[in-house]
Amino acid sequence: MDRNIYAYVCRRCGASHYPFRMVCKECKQNDFFEFDTVPLPRTGSLVTWTRVHNLPAQYEVATLGIGIVELENGMRMLGQLEIDEPEIGMAVVGEVDVVRREPYDSYYGMVFRAA
Amino acid sequence: MRDVYVAGIGITTFTRLEYPLVEIASYASMMALRDAGVTEVDQVYVANMGSPRVNHQTALASAVVDSLSLMPAGAAAIENGPASGAAAIKAGFQAVASGMDDVVLVAGAERMREVNNLEATDFVATLTHPLAEYIYGVTLPAHAAMFTRLYMERYGVTERHLAMVSVKNQNAALANEWAHLQQPITIEGILDSPEAMTNNPYVAEPLRFFDACPVSDGGAALVLVSEEKARELGRPLVRISGIGQATDTHAVFERDEPTDLLAVRKAANDAFAMAGITPQDVDVAELHDAFTILEIVESEEVGFFPRGEGHLALEKGETALGGTIPINVGGGLKGRGHPVGATGVAQAWEIVTQLRGDGGTRQVEGARVGFTCNFGGFGNNVVCCTFVRES
Repeated sequence: MDRNIYAYVCRRCGASHYPFRMVCKECKQNDFFEFDTVPLPRTGSLVTWTRVHNLPAQYEVATLGIGIVELENGMRMLGQLEIDEPEIGMAVVGEVDVVRREPYDSYYGMVFRAA
Repeated sequence: MRDVYVAGIGITTFTRLEYPLVEIASYASMMALRDAGVTEVDQVYVANMGSPRVNHQTALASAVVDSLSLMPAGAAAIENGPASGAAAIKAGFQAVASGMDDVVLVAGAERMREVNNLEATDFVATLTHPLAEYIYGVTLPAHAAMFTRLYMERYGVTERHLAMVSVKNQNAALANEWAHLQQPITIEGILDSPEAMTNNPYVAEPLRFFDACPVSDGGAALVLVSEEKARELGRPLVRISGIGQATDTHAVFERDEPTDLLAVRKAANDAFAMAGITPQDVDVAELHDAFTILEIVESEEVGFFPRGEGHLALEKGETALGGTIPINVGGGLKGRGHPVGATGVAQAWEIVTQLRGDGGTRQVEGARVGFTCNFGGFGNNVVCCTFVRES
């Protein structure tokens, strides 16, 4: 199944938002539901990153890579990293996969690898 | 608007406390009420972030009022993440300044050690964006770590600078009997020696264990009063001269410049403007060093030092006791501890202690103007306050 994460484009001024918010940050339009959804691009470059050692209880791994990525359209998002030696500025490509498991739920998000 | 004075202050030891949360809040409150010499108040605000989740208790302010037999005073709990404390001070200030109340008790309390460290970290992480941050396993140390890496790249801050903040603040806590950490540390022990990686492992690279504040239980309280009441009570006159609060985007990555903390800058500017002073007028400051990097960055964003030069001022000792602007002389969050809801109130407690001249061996000589910065979220909700001692 092809999964996407979406940006929200204001129908009045065209500004793109991620994550979702109810009112456009740029033009402050406050009509209801005035956004179109567009899939976020998958490729971009790494803005900053960390390797987390003390994880929340749900994660049964020793460390977890997390980074902020600037996508090819200029928007940014946070994602998990499956990269051995991350470096600021490196090219990455994302895929939507499970990022958190709880007893009866799986949460999907973007996982980035070296491009 | 009426002037608002701090007539009483109280605090508990910050550590792992085996008392119910209500007793922690009440103990600090009793000290503040006794210090002020009042037994009745018009209004109570209790700052707390986690009681519904961590302690399985709601409506905390109602419970505190009952415990202190302050009925029928008005009461409300204030939850504003790690900036709950200063948000409660702001609410108390507004109540007195408006003329609606003459005496307001502001307490902050948290009992985070009721759960284990993983659950405490997860509880604090719930303040992040639920869909764009939290689900990825982001913790506050992770946010601080990503911020630190960028700051290092851009301004030449090193792990040694971070360790210098750790050593300064944790050792400062030795002069504060209420502080959580009472163990001296050295750069050698946490950075340079062969054992340093064992003593001080990474929590979220490049941040290490000693870059983060401890998880603490504790409470702090203030009694805020009108000028007429302050003169009647006869305690040293410390006035809250300015308060500023500002917010920023929930998701950290959405900010135009990821090394800016715009909410810190605006909250501080607004507080200084309200007080009619500049950052250079401040004699003693409490900054929100939940992570060592934050003390450095906040010292720039509030206007003590130019952008990118906070770590240079730190190197020169300007932020230590005896420096040009002593920061966190009571240990800060790093040394005193960080019971999240209590922290903003504890920062004010330290400043009032200093402005009264009661700082003992950590007293900043002649301190007359004080400043606090209470940093909520990862910089998305910040409250700054200025205080002045009147003769």
